[in-house]
Amino acid sequence: MSATEASSQPMPVSTPSRARRAFWSGSGAGSRWLGAGIALALIMVLWFFLAEHLRPWVPGPLQTFQVMGRELASADLYRDVLVTWERLLLAFLASTLIGTVIGIAIGLDKRVEAFFQPLLALMLAVPDPVYIIFAILGLGTGEMAGLVALTLAVMPFVANIVRTSVQARDTSLDEMARVYQVRRWRIFTSTLLPQLVPALITAGRFSFALSWKIVILVEALAQPTGIGARIYNDFSMLRMSEAFAVAIMFTVLMQIVERVVLRQLESRALRWRS
Amino acid sequence: MKDTVVRVSDLGVTYAGTPAIADLDFSVTRGEFVSVVGPSGCGKSTMLNVLSGLLEPTYGSVSVNGRVLYSSGEPLPRLGYVFQTHRLLPWKTVRQNLELVLSAAGVPRQQWSERIERLLDVLQISEFAETWPMRLSGGQRLRVSIARALVIEPSYILMDEPLSTLDEVTARTMRQELSSIVAKTGSTVIFVTHSIREAVFLADRLIILTRGPARVFEERIIDIERPRLYEDARIGQIEAEVVEKVLGAWGLDEPRKEAV
Repeated sequence: MSATEASSQPMPVSTPSRARRAFWSGSGAGSRWLGAGIALALIMVLWFFLAEHLRPWVPGPLQTFQVMGRELASADLYRDVLVTWERLLLAFLASTLIGTVIGIAIGLDKRVEAFFQPLLALMLAVPDPVYIIFAILGLGTGEMAGLVALTLAVMPFVANIVRTSVQARDTSLDEMARVYQVRRWRIFTSTLLPQLVPALITAGRFSFALSWKIVILVEALAQPTGIGARIYNDFSMLRMSEAFAVAIMFTVLMQIVERVVLRQLESRALRWRS
Repeated sequence: MKDTVVRVSDLGVTYAGTPAIADLDFSVTRGEFVSVVGPSGCGKSTMLNVLSGLLEPTYGSVSVNGRVLYSSGEPLPRLGYVFQTHRLLPWKTVRQNLELVLSAAGVPRQQWSERIERLLDVLQISEFAETWPMRLSGGQRLRVSIARALVIEPSYILMDEPLSTLDEVTARTMRQELSSIVAKTGSTVIFVTHSIREAVFLADRLIILTRGPARVFEERIIDIERPRLYEDARIGQIEAEVVEKVLGAWGLDEPRKEAV
């Protein structure tokens, strides 16, 4: 092969150089892992620093990890996780379902929107602890108070996300369905609902993320059982390592559910886009 | 004599006091391919909305197979519609898109498979039956859209500039194929387009509308035998004659007069 021919040949792109470019552009998995690693290392440094200066209020990482190991071997932890999980699931489903129904109704009908809009704006402006306090005052410290407080706190966000999506939908598909005389219910299930899936997933993730935090708060304030109550009790008894260990473990568990389970659901529901 | 499928009589549509269509009159016989051309904003879309059952006219009537549309108690006729942007449901496969309209049309489920396979075969998209529309090219989506319109064996098919979003090479192929598919299936078609050449090439009859509000300016039979060639000199000649006529009617000859 002559030199001219050789120079006109496209240079083969080697895999390492492609990987290098992906790494530096931030699009490769390697750079994402590195970013996460650096963030984690910084958190650990900060934790060590705080533990050193705010002892005994902030326990050290090693001490906390030891407690985690002990807690993981105890049946009490799993019982509390299960209790919290039940409450969370119930409240999450209730707020997502009610929020979705209201969001769709508002998005489809101007009169319903006129009725609900000021109400939702007010509900969005109320701080979450206010719901909890009023629910406890009105319903006592039973299970219902937590459920009601959570639903009231989360539902307006879900309704708002869903409403925006309903109003931004592609109405030309509804028109197509009407031309082909598709029945109303079928139009709803075949053209409207699938268009809402991305919004429903966003609402679901948001609702889940908000729900578990509020559940912990409700349990801390008004329940004798659950992860929130356990953290509160540990804190009251100044068992800071225990409080930290349980809080971290539950947060990690919720992150796994959020990132693994909900993202899996999302990619399944939106596979037609790929 | 061929029987009339669609009869538009003295049709008028007014939006907030402004007429979009006025005294529109025409009819379409069974198996006929009618192209409708008109300038932008003349009321073609409004006419299609009336013919598709989406918009009740202000006055006049549309009857399909002798039954008047929009009269109480009369069910809408089974019609197919090929939209400009195809409007396929992206979360349903090609087959599911066709099944949706079959179900809506009340076609017995045991006939679905046979009808779908046959049409996909005619339209040469059998291998895409289980594919999501987003993975198809513009030409393939158009074929699916045509299949959706044909699968319910409608009384008539409305086509709203279905080739306008395709590149010229694909559009040429699709024109040729559309012509042969319609001939094969014997469908009655009302085809709206901006392109006079396309209209002449495809049509048995051409309906030229006035500048808005839409009225019939002229009708012309296109008596060129099929199959036709898009480059046929006779098509070019009819196109030139039509253009010459509509320039004045559509108010497009003012720049020419000024230039003279």
